[in-house]
Amino acid sequence: MKANISRRNILIAGGGAAVLAAAGLEVRHLLHRHAPSPYDALLAKLDDRDAAAQIGEGVLAEIDDFEPKAVAKDLRASFDRRNLTQASAEDAAEDRLVEANGWVLPKTLALLCGLAAKAQ
Amino acid sequence: MSSFIDARNVPAGTILQPDLAIVGGGPAGISLALALANTPIRMVLLESGGMTPDAKTQALYSGTKTGAPYLTLEASRLRYLGGSSNHWGGWSRPLDEIDFEQRSWLPHSGWPFPRKEIERYFPHAQSLCEVGPYIYDKADKWAETLGPLLPLGSGGVVTRWFQFSKMRGSDLPTHFGDRYADDLKRVARLSVYLHANVTRLGLDGSGGKIDQLDVATLTGRKFKVKPKLTVLAMGAIENARLMLASNDVVPAGVGNTFDMVGRFFADHPIPRDTATLVLFGGALAPYYTDIQNIHGAVMRAGLFPREEFRRSHAVMGSSVTIENKTQLDDLGKAAVATTAAALGVDANDAVAYSLGCGLEVTPDPDRRLTLGTDKDALGMPRINLRMRIADSDFARFRQTLKELARQLLVSRAGMLRLNLNSRAEWLEGLEWGNHHMGTTRMHVDPRNGVVDANSQVHGVPNLFVAGSSVFPTYGASNPTMNLIALTLRLADHLRGVLR
Repeated sequence: MKANISRRNILIAGGGAAVLAAAGLEVRHLLHRHAPSPYDALLAKLDDRDAAAQIGEGVLAEIDDFEPKAVAKDLRASFDRRNLTQASAEDAAEDRLVEANGWVLPKTLALLCGLAAKAQ
Repeated sequence: MSSFIDARNVPAGTILQPDLAIVGGGPAGISLALALANTPIRMVLLESGGMTPDAKTQALYSGTKTGAPYLTLEASRLRYLGGSSNHWGGWSRPLDEIDFEQRSWLPHSGWPFPRKEIERYFPHAQSLCEVGPYIYDKADKWAETLGPLLPLGSGGVVTRWFQFSKMRGSDLPTHFGDRYADDLKRVARLSVYLHANVTRLGLDGSGGKIDQLDVATLTGRKFKVKPKLTVLAMGAIENARLMLASNDVVPAGVGNTFDMVGRFFADHPIPRDTATLVLFGGALAPYYTDIQNIHGAVMRAGLFPREEFRRSHAVMGSSVTIENKTQLDDLGKAAVATTAAALGVDANDAVAYSLGCGLEVTPDPDRRLTLGTDKDALGMPRINLRMRIADSDFARFRQTLKELARQLLVSRAGMLRLNLNSRAEWLEGLEWGNHHMGTTRMHVDPRNGVVDANSQVHGVPNLFVAGSSVFPTYGASNPTMNLIALTLRLADHLRGVLR
């Protein structure tokens, strides 16, 4: 089973990847097709925003009172002291989990996915 | 060596007068007879069937069912010597300590004794079941030569082990009739009657003692047995049926003063594809999906809730098995790639597996057997089963799955999708273990159980029950070896009673 990175992102990134990589830039974050949103800095933590948005639809279905601004504020505060990998590990260790379409996810990741869906 | 007796040739009007009558020639009845082989106890074993299946005999099992979907009553058991061991899958595992405990969150839980009371019988039961050396959860240390255990850490779910019966000289599990026929014939004080159906437990006039058993064959032959003691070992459905149908002296039936006989019927539901397990690295030791030879035993690993987790989260013993590989849809692939990336691990070689389950159900007095109005070829009332499954049993197992999901994320080894939500989803394609239990449950108080701690029917001092019909709660372990351990304990008790 191979990871499903968005085909469109791969195509966009493919052409100029070498040049931008040489310049030390994150290719997919610069060349994404998404309309600007207030959450772009947060969503940049995701490897594949389109994939995350797919998952995020399930998160929004699970969390009735998903308020993007409040979620984003909490996430920014959370990321002041840890990165996504650390946050995901802590969420799992402390049983902060969200089920999205049956998939059991660390809460921070799930909220990011929810934001990605809202930003679509 | 004596030969078995065909009851169809027993002269009409014969009265047998053994010390002990064992009714039923399945794993419990055969184990009991063998356990008492070297005693002065004179025994008869009465088996309804012969040495091979027979459609007319099998049809005696036919009954009706209402409620939740369940197997037909004649399909889930076999009526010839060896009983339902003739279609046994061989899965074996002793019950856990917690299975015997009274749990405040689990109504009707609590055996009259702790597990240690039957622990000493497990090795002998293991031997009768031909399950090899008694290893179970010690297998971890030997199994790792075949591949690592799943890294589940100190969470609520842990790898534990099933062992499998292999009948001597066969690839199949032990069929007790075939396997032990010669051993039974060698027991000097035992007479085995085939095609002998007990149609009535005859109470004496006081209603407090079994005076005689009425026996009939499908050819119309009838005779009587007047034993000092009787042990019912016909399985959870027939034990209850015979007790309820023997209602000529006491209208409620034998041992049924408090309307408990036939209640608390249980089986292990086996829902399929309960969850999808994704292992980011793809590798999985072979003993999780297939039986393996480990240290002289035939074994397979399952995933079980720890006792501490069961207590703290009020979950049943329901266990997880890892089944076949499966494919993910696009959403699943997105979930795996996104989660693995967030955890900082590579999922390019990820593999997905479908998870199975052996579900333990909550004791339910209304999941019960009652007598129907139709009668079988021997004039016995057929049985009606009212089947029920509580949504809480599914919900509790879901908690265990969610804990497994959490542990996989903590170890960054993988993740889980819970595939079943609604009751309809759980019930769709539901299979069963054919593990009939509970209908003559054990309890010190006759208002809460049919037999006491010695498996004696309350109020009837010369009537006992062997088999999983006495289980008050069920665990997630397969019942055969456990019911045999209990039967061996009963054998010790009967030795004392008949001394």
